[in-house]
Amino acid sequence: MTRSLRLAARQALHEQRSFWRSAEYALFTFAFPLMILLLIGAANVGSYLPGTHVKNTTVFVPSILAFGVIVAAYVNLGSKVAVLRHDGVLKRIKTTPLPSGAYLGGLLASTVATTILIAALTGLIGWLAFGADPRPGGLPALTGGLILGIVCFATLGLAISSVITSAESAGPVAYASFLPIAIISGVFDPTFSGLPQWLSRMVAAFPVKALAQLMQGAYTARPFPAWDLVNLALWTAAGATFVAWRFRWHT
Amino acid sequence: MRVIDAVSPTVADGFAVHVRDLRMSYGSTEVLRGVDFDVRYGEVFCLLGPNGAGKTTTLEILEGFRSPSGGTVRVLGLDPATQAARLRERVGMVLQECGFPRQARVAELIDIWRSYYPNPRPLGELLDVVELAEVRNAQVRKLSGGQRRRLDFALALAGDPDLVFLDEPTTGFDPEARRRCWAAIENLRRLGSTILLTTHYLDEAERLADRIAILRAGRIELAGTTQEVAARAGLATRISFTTPSALRQGQVAVPDGIDLAVRGPVSVCHTDNAAMTLRRLLDWALENRLGDLDGLAVSAPSLEDTYLQLTGPDPETM
Repeated sequence: MTRSLRLAARQALHEQRSFWRSAEYALFTFAFPLMILLLIGAANVGSYLPGTHVKNTTVFVPSILAFGVIVAAYVNLGSKVAVLRHDGVLKRIKTTPLPSGAYLGGLLASTVATTILIAALTGLIGWLAFGADPRPGGLPALTGGLILGIVCFATLGLAISSVITSAESAGPVAYASFLPIAIISGVFDPTFSGLPQWLSRMVAAFPVKALAQLMQGAYTARPFPAWDLVNLALWTAAGATFVAWRFRWHT
Repeated sequence: MRVIDAVSPTVADGFAVHVRDLRMSYGSTEVLRGVDFDVRYGEVFCLLGPNGAGKTTTLEILEGFRSPSGGTVRVLGLDPATQAARLRERVGMVLQECGFPRQARVAELIDIWRSYYPNPRPLGELLDVVELAEVRNAQVRKLSGGQRRRLDFALALAGDPDLVFLDEPTTGFDPEARRRCWAAIENLRRLGSTILLTTHYLDEAERLADRIAILRAGRIELAGTTQEVAARAGLATRISFTTPSALRQGQVAVPDGIDLAVRGPVSVCHTDNAAMTLRRLLDWALENRLGDLDGLAVSAPSLEDTYLQLTGPDPETM
């Protein structure tokens, strides 16, 4: 057990080194959410949610926090595993005595590190640029939301990796499978509204809005997010079931 | 699925690889139809055969990636189907078409691979064996095809394996890359590793292997040393010489009792009694004033002749 942990830690360090070596990968992962944060955030400065004293940015910054978590845990991990499988690296790993759990554990630990860093940067820039900070006592909600978000979207990332059929389409498929949902979930627009009822019901069923609302709960007072928690738990279970059923070490 | 019968450990343990009556079916297609062979410790054993003969399937069963439909398999005394984890620590594998992580560098990748094994071989030694020391800090994606294959070897050797599987190690390589690959395999063997390699190249088998088994359509057609395989195929000795112009122009008839084929500039015959045929040929040349027969050559049946006879669809193309 300790050996597996040591191997997983070593693998995680190796993955982090590789991640930062690939400039485009690291840049895209970090720059995309942070750029959106700054650009759209700037457009919302001085505005308030209709009929309230809540600043737009107070809702927008945690939404982008959720967005960053999804990019790092879902898009990055999912496309990375798809590429590793397509390139035959996963198969090669199976020729060694390295336990599968230690290898996947290393990949996940590296993903967690990247996700936490991106969340921290988003929070910091949101606070420095727009004065948005968690409400008093909001830290447990923030931490809990982060953990749940990482677990849920990393699981879904592993799941989507099994659906991707080529290395070239890995990034596009991962992005295309969640960006439209992120847009109609109002992640990029705090005042987004006016969806037909059937569509807003559908949006509520996906985990993107659920995670965004969990994060918003750490910045502004909201009712207890029972449905959002159930939503993420259900998606995690569904993702894990799919992974157990479809995950392959080679194409 | 057939019951895999127990083997007496003394028999199976005497060999690095022990295969008896190995069978494999995908649906109704029989890929392996009772394969038998043994690989001794310390030797280079070559499974030779055309594409689709079942080489890779056999290897994947030995590696524990597939469970056979029937038969007995022991690798280093272990059953790969049930003891794959223990086997992985002692076996190195070079599979067809396995990639590398895209951002990795040569020495760094070998190093992380070493960490997967309980008793890894030193990094410097690995780089030397596969002749990659001078590109140790290069990015893997910038390596040539031959260098990548040698990096495959280095990763397979990282755990200091007792047995190495090489699945078609030089397919698609240019002559220089093949030569360096072969050098790496010869280095490997000098380190005392037992090697089981598959190939559809004859020169590769002839150059590297101590013993050869020819696999064709799911069965071992012939097995033994290179010479044994050639001899056991029952092929005749080949005698050839430059066709004299008189023979070519029809001024001289072909000798009686000799099955001589005039193929343009070269004349060839096959015989089971080389001495007698040669005497008759020279007598015939003397009678017809053809001199000493330019380019006269007598060659024992080669592995290539054997192989082509076994696997070629048309004997006339020999």
